[in-house]
Amino acid sequence: MKDLVRILIAPLVWLAAFSAVYGLHGVICGFAVDGTVFGLSLARVLLVTAYVLAILVQVVLLWALYQDRFSSASVFVNFVGRASGWVGVIAAVWTMLPAVLTTYCG
Amino acid sequence: MNVVTRHRRLDAIWASERGFRGWFSTVNHTDLGRMFLVTSFFFFIIGGILAMLIRAQLATPDSAFAGPDIYNQIFTMHGTIMMFLFAIPAFEGLAIYLLPKILGTRDLAFPRLTAYGYWCYVFGGSMLLVAMLLGIAPDSGWFMYTPLSNAIYSPGINTDFWLIGITFVEISAIAAAAEICVSILKFRAPGMTLAKMPIFAWYALVTALMILTGFPPLILGSILLEVERAFGFPFFQVELGGDSLLWQHLFWLFGHPEVYIIFLPAAGIVSTVLPVMCRTTLIGYGWIVAAIVALAFLSFGLWVHHMFTTGIPHMGLAFFSAASTLVAVPTAVQLFAWIGTMWKGRPELHLPMLHIMGFFATFVIGGLTGVMVAMVPFNWQVHDTAFITAHLHYVLFGGFVFPVFAGIYYWLPHVSGRKRFFRLGEFAFWLIFVGFHVTFFAMHWVGLLGQRRRIDTYTPEDGWTLINLISSVGSFVLSIGIAMVLLDVILHVLSSRKIRRNPWQAGTLDWAMMTPPPSYNFASLPHVDSRHPLADNPALPVRLAQGHGYLGTPRADWRETLMVDAATGRPEAHVIYPANTRLPILMSAVTGIFFLGLLLKTYWMVPIGMVGVAGLALRWVWMLGRRDDLGAQHVGQGVILPHASATDRSPGWWGSLFLMFANATLFGCLLFGFAFLWTVAPGWPPLVRFEPSFIELGVGVAAALGTALALRVAMAAVRNARATLPALGIALTGAVVFGACCAVMLWRAPPPVDHAYAATLFVLGSYGLFHAVLIVLMTGHLIARVWQGYTSPARRSEFAVVSLWGDYVAVIGSLVLLVGHLSGLSL
Amino acid sequence: MAPRGVILATTLLALNGCDGATSTLQTAGPAARVIADLWWAMLVGAVLIFMLVMALVVLAFVRRSPDVAADERGQVRVWIIALGLAFPMVVLAVLLGFGLVIGERLLPRDDVTVVQVSAQGQRWVWTFSYADAPGRVTEDILHIPAGQPVDVSITTADVIHSFWVPRLAGKLDAIPGRSNVLRIEADAPGDYQGLSAEFSGENYADFGFTVRAHDAAGWADFIAGETE
Repeated sequence: MKDLVRILIAPLVWLAAFSAVYGLHGVICGFAVDGTVFGLSLARVLLVTAYVLAILVQVVLLWALYQDRFSSASVFVNFVGRASGWVGVIAAVWTMLPAVLTTYCG
Repeated sequence: MNVVTRHRRLDAIWASERGFRGWFSTVNHTDLGRMFLVTSFFFFIIGGILAMLIRAQLATPDSAFAGPDIYNQIFTMHGTIMMFLFAIPAFEGLAIYLLPKILGTRDLAFPRLTAYGYWCYVFGGSMLLVAMLLGIAPDSGWFMYTPLSNAIYSPGINTDFWLIGITFVEISAIAAAAEICVSILKFRAPGMTLAKMPIFAWYALVTALMILTGFPPLILGSILLEVERAFGFPFFQVELGGDSLLWQHLFWLFGHPEVYIIFLPAAGIVSTVLPVMCRTTLIGYGWIVAAIVALAFLSFGLWVHHMFTTGIPHMGLAFFSAASTLVAVPTAVQLFAWIGTMWKGRPELHLPMLHIMGFFATFVIGGLTGVMVAMVPFNWQVHDTAFITAHLHYVLFGGFVFPVFAGIYYWLPHVSGRKRFFRLGEFAFWLIFVGFHVTFFAMHWVGLLGQRRRIDTYTPEDGWTLINLISSVGSFVLSIGIAMVLLDVILHVLSSRKIRRNPWQAGTLDWAMMTPPPSYNFASLPHVDSRHPLADNPALPVRLAQGHGYLGTPRADWRETLMVDAATGRPEAHVIYPANTRLPILMSAVTGIFFLGLLLKTYWMVPIGMVGVAGLALRWVWMLGRRDDLGAQHVGQGVILPHASATDRSPGWWGSLFLMFANATLFGCLLFGFAFLWTVAPGWPPLVRFEPSFIELGVGVAAALGTALALRVAMAAVRNARATLPALGIALTGAVVFGACCAVMLWRAPPPVDHAYAATLFVLGSYGLFHAVLIVLMTGHLIARVWQGYTSPARRSEFAVVSLWGDYVAVIGSLVLLVGHLSGLSL
Repeated sequence: MAPRGVILATTLLALNGCDGATSTLQTAGPAARVIADLWWAMLVGAVLIFMLVMALVVLAFVRRSPDVAADERGQVRVWIIALGLAFPMVVLAVLLGFGLVIGERLLPRDDVTVVQVSAQGQRWVWTFSYADAPGRVTEDILHIPAGQPVDVSITTADVIHSFWVPRLAGKLDAIPGRSNVLRIEADAPGDYQGLSAEFSGENYADFGFTVRAHDAAGWADFIAGETE
């Protein structure tokens, strides 16, 4: 069961983060959040912070998956776990990139 | 004991009843797998006939073949049947038939559940067929967008058939999925580590996990919509705080993963069959497993790409556009791994391989158009046009039907024990391949020319006439091809020659047995130490038949098998399966009474159905008990194992865990729906709120937590042979008190027909109450067990199961009450 | 695959003598034009990728000697890392970039010269009203000025519909309780066929409308109430 967790954890966390960022975006547009922080729009700051956080969490997970302490006895499970760790990092960077790039409400 | 005696003894223990009576009482996975497959192909033919009717209607402009009322039923049922009654059950059938064989064991984890799922599928599917024969089939399109599907715009019973029939069928999907997960993780041949599992098992495991996550949103959506239609709770009515977009979110939260749920098993067939056809092994096994996992998760982040035109802000769309492009990557990894495997080996163009080639050509086009429609601006143009119809048929026909035909021709000798004699198959393949592309290729174009999907007719001035005519001609060629496959299969089963064992020279365990397979699969269970045990040791089938593996000596009338450690495949426990019984068909018939009562609005039938199901479920678990301890057993190879009921992690515990996973997803979707309405729906905040009571909240949460705690105490007590009744009594009381708190919440909440807020609160409270009743029944069962002398430290596994459910209810119960009461606070 | 389609479709158009009134590729406005360009670019890319994949498949059969040189590690490097991961990721990143940029460009932005109109779908009639001519209501014909961006505010009185003028722009849904804004623009005066593109029941097939783009004088007349 722990081995299954090693394989599933990174993309699972990505899915949670992705949904959370989409939800945050929904809340920002739903309640028309405005205001500025340091000359940037509050909405953009929130979204970009969430984006960076999501990537950081994935990087930490990937790091952990490479540590002996959290490794499995099975070489195969370690390989798949680390591969899905990379999936998590890439997916976080790729899918939430619009938080930086596109218009948020409109 | 010689081989023949062993075969006779085992067959007497494992065989289904002879003749057609056996269909109703069998719990054998080989029989049920075949029944699932035959039934699903029956529905495939019906869905195909409906497709023919669609193409007949669209062949010419201003067609008077069917009016819109009939035509709308036809295309709705075509989609519904192909998705829910063909594709998913075909996967279930294949997995049920194949998994125990390819994993080197004798049956799936819960034989009776397999049968229950099958009958739910048959009865639910029959409901939809009856609706069609009576001309009152669902007619709002297979994704049932509300408000079109609500009681105002679809007042007839048509939509109810869809919501209730499909939910009934989905019981079988959830049951099969939970069972497949437990079977793959816990019921394998000893020694088969995760790394040595046949690749098909990985595909099936991931698909099953996806069903457990993907189907609950639709089940929840169907429940909410049916409750709205029947009782006027306004979940999707915008004037009363609902939102029709909530339906779209719930539907596509299911609907997109569904595409991958259909594709993954088919890809599993390709990954299994293609290397055999190339006389080699698959390259990048680990990479493919990682790709499957990536695909599964990414597919849950795509649902909004079906909603690009609903006016969601561009950033929201962009997230899903990005995710939709990324999902192509793991698919590409698999595609190139397959092609690389072909380069590595020596591909031979047998019939299964021919269908795989058809899959390559078709699916790659479907994937490429899929990337196109993931582009938001392009999607704005082609959404809801024939371009999408063409794209989705390239993906689903290309990505499912071709591989399934490959699988059929690959495993047909296994099912029948015969060799193909007539050569209809090759000819049929070319008819199908050419017919398919003629039908659907130009459909992309006519979509770009503005032909919308779901129109029942068009005019000559639209300029779509010739393309549609060609498309219709192609579809008839395609259906002739499929009819020929059918004929080929029937002729094959009736009239071919016997084959030698393992005709394809495959390396997996499914071929390490007699064909057709005996009822018990393996006379003794193999010890596996590679991914291709049969290739390593061609004498394995004979050794197993001679009883040189585990459990080679039949004992009493026991259907014996082994449970192993999920990661390492080390044998863990000894399992005795229940034998043939009519309980599953009876229970699904009673489940049918429940659904029929809802459908016909004869609500007095509903409680009868519920009580009946509860009673039969108690009987179901009661049958497994024993009044004396079964000591540790010799299972062969010098291994001695305890019986599963002497462990805390019995098959029932594992099954509960996966069922709970699906259940938690449903609950999560309910909370999501609440939050979604609260933040996004236009008609908020509600005028009247629930009046929170911190006493009720505190008492309820304490009772829910106390129940879980008491059940844990009872579990420890039974393990140490101490008295369990006091703890069970406390648990029972706690569950009743918790249920009462939920009931009070339901009672005091504002009328649910007034606003979506109160309606959601009502569903939340009912969810809590339902689980309180569940715990009461389970604890009551344990108390009866203790009284009747069915428990001991060596017969304690049911305590762990109930305790697991107790923990679950403690969590969701606290959440239900917290959300309910806190939502009443005016901030 | 696709060139065959292009030739086929062109032939068919000729045979039918059709004017492509609902063709997304016979563009008559900037939004539709940008999207059509995207389509042609994607089509070319898709054809190339498809031919590459099919060539690799066919080569697997015709190659005489098996890959003796390559070990599992080498196979993984070529097939999985290079072709399976790197190749699609590069292609998709570029495509996604284009898609997002185009999507941004098509959004309705604040603009003083924009004409505001409203469209309400109801089974089975579209009702249009005009900010510049309060009280003016038309059914199934939407009047707009040519050569000027127009923001259509889309609503529904019953079920979900979708407002779609294929030659001008993509579609946008009419969702109960919401108002969605779509920017359209016609290059030249003329009639453009509009379609309702979300299934709405019995008369769905015939459910459409016309967009009539006027020249400056015609639009002024319309606003003044002199056009029927």
